[in-house]
Amino acid sequence: MAASAGPRPGWSRRAQYSLFFSFLAVVAGLAVGLILLILSLVAPQSYAAVRGAALDATAPISSGLSEVTTTVTGMFSGAGNYWDAANQNAQLKRDRAALMRRMVEARAILEENQQLKAALQLRERSAEAVAAGRVVGSSFESPRRFAVISVGTSDGVQVGMPVRAPEGLIGRVIDAGSLASRVLLVTDRANIVPARILKGGQPVISTGRGDGTIDVRPLEVGRNPFRPGDIIVTSGTGGLYPPLVPIAKVIRLDDDGAIALPIADPSKVSFAIVEPPYEPAALAAAAQSAGEER
Amino acid sequence: MVRSALGRPDARLNKGPRAGADYVPAISVVIGSLLSLLPIVSASGWWPDFGLLMLLGWRLLRADAWPAWWAAPLGFVNDLLAGNPIGLSIALWSAMMIAMDILDRRTMWRDYWIEWAIATLFIVLAELAQWRVAAVLGAGVPFNTSALPAIIVSVLCFPVAAFLASRIDRWRLGR
Repeated sequence: MAASAGPRPGWSRRAQYSLFFSFLAVVAGLAVGLILLILSLVAPQSYAAVRGAALDATAPISSGLSEVTTTVTGMFSGAGNYWDAANQNAQLKRDRAALMRRMVEARAILEENQQLKAALQLRERSAEAVAAGRVVGSSFESPRRFAVISVGTSDGVQVGMPVRAPEGLIGRVIDAGSLASRVLLVTDRANIVPARILKGGQPVISTGRGDGTIDVRPLEVGRNPFRPGDIIVTSGTGGLYPPLVPIAKVIRLDDDGAIALPIADPSKVSFAIVEPPYEPAALAAAAQSAGEER
Repeated sequence: MVRSALGRPDARLNKGPRAGADYVPAISVVIGSLLSLLPIVSASGWWPDFGLLMLLGWRLLRADAWPAWWAAPLGFVNDLLAGNPIGLSIALWSAMMIAMDILDRRTMWRDYWIEWAIATLFIVLAELAQWRVAAVLGAGVPFNTSALPAIIVSVLCFPVAAFLASRIDRWRLGR
């Protein structure tokens, strides 16, 4: 097939002009696009309103589709639960009995802990949740790792707030519409979380790797402190994330750090809970850096 | 007797293009961009950019699918829906329209493999640009685990987009 030589306007002066102006317009479009791109690289906050509006306009679609898929997968897994139900029931009863014993022990430890803390006069900050929503989508076609959650500024969400699931940390809000918000996941390269190893308490830095895993490095250079299976929790340093929220589990060591898998998988968590920043003063700083890192 | 009178009553002989045929290509590109709203929560960003694939499918099929400058607003919609930095798709898609105009004048011969090669070139450039922009924004992920799989998946998905564009083209023209 011979190539089409583009639109041929023929002898019509009007058609020729319209083709020429269309060419001028696409060159102008290129220039405008480059200017907007440079603006979004140097000053991403300038698009907060338009990005929030886009989130609001599209959130009902994502939420609706997400409800449908949840219902369909729920029907299949619900049917699967009836398979071998008697054995499962016996197993669950055994597990429950074991957990009851552990819980009594834990409660005793908690009591003792509270007494010790009272003796030391440590103040406990209880973080009440701002809002809880579902994870309804993600940036599955970009090297960045974002998720969209179904709560926004009308629920009290603000840019910079930490987002967690019951299982562990998910990330922090970087765009907030009034009905939905975009979350920078802990697996994104630009999300750096001050953390520590649960066992031993050595301070580490957790950075996303962009492929669903997390890179953890010790703050102090020296012997590699990680063991496969180590749990990484937030340290609370910086004041944005509350301390002792699980982030990831180490799966593999490399030369001076380790690769870890996030504990809260955004595709499986039931709810994403938005919390106020641990230190309220950190919100302004976090909003600032969220804008710069996007 | 006109030929259309001989066909079935629902046949579209002699009826011309469907209503709104001029806007169907652009709408199909927006629908491609809308696919990024699917409730897929993926650990890696290897899925193709469906809006870009539809744009390339249409532009390689016809030079007059839309006036070239429509690429800019279509890119803006794609940026908003996919959560890209605003301006990335606007600039890329406009540049692709200009590049395709030049290519249309330079290439003497066009077949399926050449179209796939051109599409591959554009997909690689677009993914590289997206990867570089992510790096500038503080997310410098390694090429091999982020951009390369995305390029391969997109290139392999392009024939589907080209097929869809040609079927939609036949439908909108009432053939």
